[in-house]
Amino acid sequence: MLRPWSLENMKPTDDITKEELSAVTLSHVTRTYKRDEFDVRALDNISLSIPAKRFVAIMGPSGSGKTTLLNLVAGIDHATSGRVAVGGEEISTMNEREISAWRARHIGLVFQFYNLIPVLTAFENVELPLLLTNLNKSERKTHVEAALKAVGLADRMGHYPRQLSGGQEQRVAIARAIVTDPTIIVADEPTGDLDAKSAEEILNLLTELNQQFHKTIVMVTHDPRSERFVQIVYRLDKGIFVGAEQGGRYVEPVASLQPQE
Amino acid sequence: MTKYALLIFKNLLRSKRRTILTIISIAVSLFIFALLVSLPTFVNQVLADTSSSVRISCHTKMGWDYPLPEAYRVKVAATPHVVAVATAVFFGGIYHEASDQFPSIATDPETFADVFSDWGLSGVDQFKKIKTACLVAQGTMRRFNLHVGQQIQIRGTLFPVNLTLNIVGTVANAPSQDFLIFRSDYFEEAVGNPHIVDIFWVKVDDSRNLPQVAAALDRQFANSSSETRSESEAAFVGSIFARVGIFLKVAELIGLVVVVAIGLVAANTAAMSIRERRGEIAVMRSMGFPSRVIFLLLIAESLAIALIGGALGCSAAFGLLKVFSLNADILGPIVMLRIPPVVLGEAMVVAMLIGLLSACIPAYSASRRNIVETLRMID
Repeated sequence: MLRPWSLENMKPTDDITKEELSAVTLSHVTRTYKRDEFDVRALDNISLSIPAKRFVAIMGPSGSGKTTLLNLVAGIDHATSGRVAVGGEEISTMNEREISAWRARHIGLVFQFYNLIPVLTAFENVELPLLLTNLNKSERKTHVEAALKAVGLADRMGHYPRQLSGGQEQRVAIARAIVTDPTIIVADEPTGDLDAKSAEEILNLLTELNQQFHKTIVMVTHDPRSERFVQIVYRLDKGIFVGAEQGGRYVEPVASLQPQE
Repeated sequence: MTKYALLIFKNLLRSKRRTILTIISIAVSLFIFALLVSLPTFVNQVLADTSSSVRISCHTKMGWDYPLPEAYRVKVAATPHVVAVATAVFFGGIYHEASDQFPSIATDPETFADVFSDWGLSGVDQFKKIKTACLVAQGTMRRFNLHVGQQIQIRGTLFPVNLTLNIVGTVANAPSQDFLIFRSDYFEEAVGNPHIVDIFWVKVDDSRNLPQVAAALDRQFANSSSETRSESEAAFVGSIFARVGIFLKVAELIGLVVVVAIGLVAANTAAMSIRERRGEIAVMRSMGFPSRVIFLLLIAESLAIALIGGALGCSAAFGLLKVFSLNADILGPIVMLRIPPVVLGEAMVVAMLIGLLSACIPAYSASRRNIVETLRMID
């Protein structure tokens, strides 16, 4: 059941409960793909923990397994072995129906190419995830308006994606991701298709969502400029977790970033 | 499902041209289906309607195209359980142009109304009094804009004479709405007293006596120069339709073939439409839309297109026959084609099946496709 919410009503809080200490925990996660007759190991025995209410980035060269890791966290992919827990719930053992319901409740996804539905207006695109809830039409309207207002697009509700700039489209995508008040926002290269100015605006918006509303945001990025916006950077290389940096300082191995066995 | 209505509607309008063309193709196929399947269905209905008739058709063994001697009438009328006898001779005839043909039948003015009392006759008294009188079926009245009191001329086709007839009344409730009857004494006089009858229509006191009266009639004329074959009205009508039985079967088959062909076209269109949206479907699933909901949304789109097409096709078929009152001359004088409600229902069920089956496989496959693979593909 979706918690009724409004961005205006949300109060920042510093009370982090024990459960929320680790928004994401990966324990010995391996993900292997079959490519023709070859097995490709995208993630190799990864164990890491992402604290709640942080804005973190997963970085690394192409093919390092960033997006695979993000997909596992978002529950749209399954680990070949190991455990994935998000918000205290073990998702690696859920079946298709359970994981769909879980995604609807806990995950807000932002893609590199926005992936808005072209035949729907900004309002209707943002409303889409709310169709899975029990909210009635007027409640959905309240939520959508609040989300679009939060991303600064209250005056573009009736616009179709083709009538918006790339930056505006990504803002709509972010509004769609936050409208259900998810536990975690996962963003896959959210600035990858934007010019420098729009990219900075999007990163500022994500920072604002994190700082004002304490949303946990896990972002995959190539862009080194993103580092100054995030609190922790997790680095991957060839499917292996090579370390994390907090505030520009190398912190690996750090107990707080390691999953509790 | 109502909260998804807007999403379904907007997806239908995604490619207006494709949606409209698909609707039209389904409408055309259902139009053809409704028309062709109506033929045998309507025939069956007419046969069912005549099953309670207490009339017997008595004609030669060779078929009702060959005449019997009029002298048989006395013996026919004297057969036990016979209530009334009316003769019928097919005159043919053309009104104005060669295309203005309809069955013209010479009959007994005195007994016709007794034998066909259920046909809603008007002007019977005048018909009995005036030698040149005729009664015209209401469909023919409308077709040629005729009115009671009008004098018309019929040019003979089977008999080389022209007849001048005065319309004194109409026939409202006959199975066919396109024919004319006139007096047999006028016919005899005009063509030189041939004293022939194509069919003796015999009214029996009770439907249970039909078989025994028919057998008695045929027994009386056995081994004569013109042996008879007597059969109930239902069997008689059935024998007429048997002449076009192959045509009816072919019509039914063509109707089905058209539907299957359009069903395959609709399936291809649905597959294309769904394939184009694989990325969007993957995004919706990543948001948490269950496969079941995605599947139902895609099926609902296809169903909406098919039902709109079906409704348009059925309405067009029904309206066309209603407005123009197309006569099924090919089926003879007994029937006038119209689309029975059961065929409209069948056509809508067929439309529904087209909608369901055409999208079923692509929708199922799209709703279960691997999200990560699909997202990687569209990126």
